[in-house]
Order: sequence, then structure tokens, then C-alpha cells
Amino acid sequence: MNNCETIRDSIGSWLDGELSPSASESVRLHLAACSDCSMARQQLEKLQLVLKDQLVAQAATIDFMPFWRGVQQRINQKRAWHEDLFEWSRGFLTAPRIAWAVPALIVLLLALFSLDSYLPGRGGRDSFASVESIDAHGRSVALLREDQTKTTVIWLYQDQEGENETAEEAAKSGPTF
Amino acid sequence: MKLLKKLPSLVLLFSALLFSAERPGGTAEKNPQSVQVTIRTILAGNKADEFDAKLKGMEQQLKSLKYRSYRSLKDDSKTVPWQGSQTFDIPGGRTLTVAPQEFQDNRIAVKIRLTQGEKPVVDTTVKIPNKGNFILGGPAHEGGVLVLSISAAAQ
Amino acid sequence: MELSDSELVKKSQAGETSAFQELVSRYHQKVFMVILGLLRNREDALEVAQETFFRAFRKINSFQGGSSFYTWIYRIAVNMSIDAQRRQKRNPLDFRESMDDVMAAQNEVAKDPFADVHDKELREKLNRAINDLTPDHKAVIVLRTIEGLSYKDIGEILGCSEGTVMSRLHYARKKLQDKLRAFL
Repeated sequence: MNNCETIRDSIGSWLDGELSPSASESVRLHLAACSDCSMARQQLEKLQLVLKDQLVAQAATIDFMPFWRGVQQRINQKRAWHEDLFEWSRGFLTAPRIAWAVPALIVLLLALFSLDSYLPGRGGRDSFASVESIDAHGRSVALLREDQTKTTVIWLYQDQEGENETAEEAAKSGPTF
Repeated sequence: MKLLKKLPSLVLLFSALLFSAERPGGTAEKNPQSVQVTIRTILAGNKADEFDAKLKGMEQQLKSLKYRSYRSLKDDSKTVPWQGSQTFDIPGGRTLTVAPQEFQDNRIAVKIRLTQGEKPVVDTTVKIPNKGNFILGGPAHEGGVLVLSISAAAQ
Repeated sequence: MELSDSELVKKSQAGETSAFQELVSRYHQKVFMVILGLLRNREDALEVAQETFFRAFRKINSFQGGSSFYTWIYRIAVNMSIDAQRRQKRNPLDFRESMDDVMAAQNEVAKDPFADVHDKELREKLNRAINDLTPDHKAVIVLRTIEGLSYKDIGEILGCSEGTVMSRLHYARKKLQDKLRAFL
């Protein structure tokens, strides 16, 4: 890149007053000596002037009181609740936030599912033991579920012949649920 | 800066990989090596009001059986291989045989047989939540009834 | 004695509508110029400018004073202009016609140093060239040209670094110069 190209790339920043003092001085000296770059500077200045003039001229036609009445009308107008909600969501739910929220929500859901599986005794149907099959060989048997402690109980009642223990007491006092 | 812009997509991809690799509720699961089976033998009765302090952790479970007294008789814990079995001595000349069958959905399917001498009292297959328990009770013993807490934990 | 912007903001936050009116009086033309520079349509720019101050009024309590009032109001104005640009359904021909009306009105009401045919053509070409810029590039060139804002202030308004402002300005100016070289 030759010196003129470098200088022309810097003319805008120089006009804006954003160059360092030493860089600014280099540009100034070059422009004083180079007619092509000086022409480029004039073109840029004219461009900015035309643009600014257009807009300044238009702004000068805006009367304050009618403008303020327009603003006041909006302030005094009662807005529906959903308009406020919509406005809030447009400001809050920006694209980057949504882009982060979606994977964060997925990770959170995964964590909750995993927690549910790994924490012992957490509520729900799955914390009960389930009896798949039972053969009490002719005896009476009861299958019970105690909700408070999530306990499955298989209760064997004494048969008529009794067992070799003192069955009487035990039979009288079977569990009551 | 480009990486930062890609970060939400990377998080999403990572989540998807994590989900597919680490689902504990999946149907095709690798079985654990063995099962730790613990049998707590308890004597329940109505002759007195008594609650053995050793059974503190099971208080709510046992009290739901509505007996007046609960006394710990023995605790027994054995490691049982899958498709294998182990036998536990139960007071009153009884035997409890436990045979783990399958591990699925974080639940252990076990086959259980309670015998009185040579005679089978009950055969049952129960799916126990991993590290959970169930109760098998009713056989008469010393004026009360035996209550067996059977728990299983995959290892 | 004239109150400063921050004093007027404090009074507005306390509920004094007259203080807010004074702020509108100070900045309505500048805000309008920025929005017109972005939207290139007078009626739309008026509408959006009024809406900008209305939004500023509703959000005045959230203005903490971390930035100056004018960078804050310009930020609202630019964001609302970008939203309005997205909603605009007009075709490019309508844009040129709108700004032609603008320029005709300008000739009637203001002493125009460039009132000859050559400069009229320059302005037409300038409108088209600016409309061809992306919203980001349009915003930096309008904010710098109208207000002479520093790169730091422009960066604050647009939510980007000074380096980004510099490179966008350089790109926008280069594009405009390339398209308008014959007329400059």
C-alpha cells in the first residue's frame, strides 16, 4: 500500500479529530503537499456537507409545539396491557438472550430429569417396589402400598393348620393399614 | 468473538450429546456388576409398647403396620451376583433365597423364595427401586410376627 | 439560569412533565435528523421521533445517568429506526420519491447553496447511495455527520467498540465516494 492510499484511508478519521497528534500531523503535511489527496479530502468534506445540509434543512421545518403535542398525545393515551407486555418483551427478549436461553433451558431440563432418576425415594409411582408375580402356595396373601412412606408390603397370613410358632397371637394382630 | 457467537450452538450440541450418552431411564442399559442385598429381620408384636432404637431409620415404614412393638432380631447383608443367588437364615427355621434377575430403569428385579424348612412359603418376583426396599411380613415367631425388610443396591 | 440535562432528567423522574418538555425542546430536531438520515422518509421520521420521546418518557426512571442524556436518547432513536426499517414495506422507488419531496420542500423553505441541477442530481444519487448502505453503516455515517459525535459516543449509542465505529465509517464513506465521485 503506498503512502497516498494510507493517507486517504485516514482522511475521514483526521477530519473527525480521532487520530493521534503524530498521525494527525503526518496527514496534514501530506495533504498540504499532495493535490490528489487534497482533492479526496475536499470530496469527503463536500459529501458530508451535502448530507448534513439536507437533514438540517428538514429539521428546521419541524415546529416544536405540534411535535410536543404528538408526544403528549402518546403519553396521555391509555395503552392496552398487552401492548406494554409486547414492548417489554421486545426490549428484554433480545436475540442473544433467546439464543442463550434455549440451550440453558435444555440443560436445566436434563438436570431435572437426571435428578429425578438418581435421588432415591423421590415421590411418584416409580419409588414403590412393584410385585411382578407371587405364589403363596395356598396361603392367603395381601399386597399393600403405604403411600406416606412409599412402601410395598407383602403380607402372609397364617394358614389354617398354623405354623410351629404360637400363631394365635400373630393371627389376631395382623397389620391394619 | 466468533467463538462467543457460536457458544449457544455449542452448548446445544453438548446438551444433545450429554442427553444421548447419559440417560439413566434408557431401555438398553448395561447391568451393574452385582447387587448388595440387605435383609433386616424384625419381630413385631402387641404385648408391649417398644421401639428398638436400631430401627430408627425405618420408623415410619414399620409404624404403618400398626403393631405396638418392634425389635430388631438380625441384620444381614450379602453381595449377590447377577443370575446368581444367596441364601439368608431367617429365625424360626426359615430360609430366604434372593436371586437378582435384571437391572432396568434404575430398578432391580429380584426373585425371592421364603421357605420353612424344605417347604416353600412364598415365591415372588419384585422390582425394587435401586437402593430401595420392600417389606415381607407375617410369619409367626415368638408370640409376634416376623417382618423382613428386603433392600437391594446395584454395584 | 438554564438547567443542565441531568437536572432536567432528575425533575422528569420526579414527575415534572415541564422538565421533560424542555428536554424534548432541546433535542427534538437533532433526534429527527438522525431518524430522517436512517429512514429517508419525512413522515416516518416524524412518527418515529415522537415515539422515541414517548418511549424515553416511559423509561425515564430507568435512566441512571451512566451515559449522557443525548447518547441515551440517540440510542433509543437508532433502535426504533432500525425497527421501523424492518417494518417498512415500501419499495426503493418510493424511497426516492419521498426524498425528492424532501428536497423540493428544502428548496422552497431554505436558502440552498446547492440549488443548481448538478447538486440536485448529487443529492438524488446521495439518497440512493445511503439507502444502499446497511443499517449499521447508515447509523455511523448519520451520527457522525449530523452531530459530529466522537467515535466513543457513537460506539456507546450503537453498542460497539470505537474500532468498529472507525471501520464502519471508513467503509461507508468509501462506498459513498465511489458511487458519487463524478458528482463531488
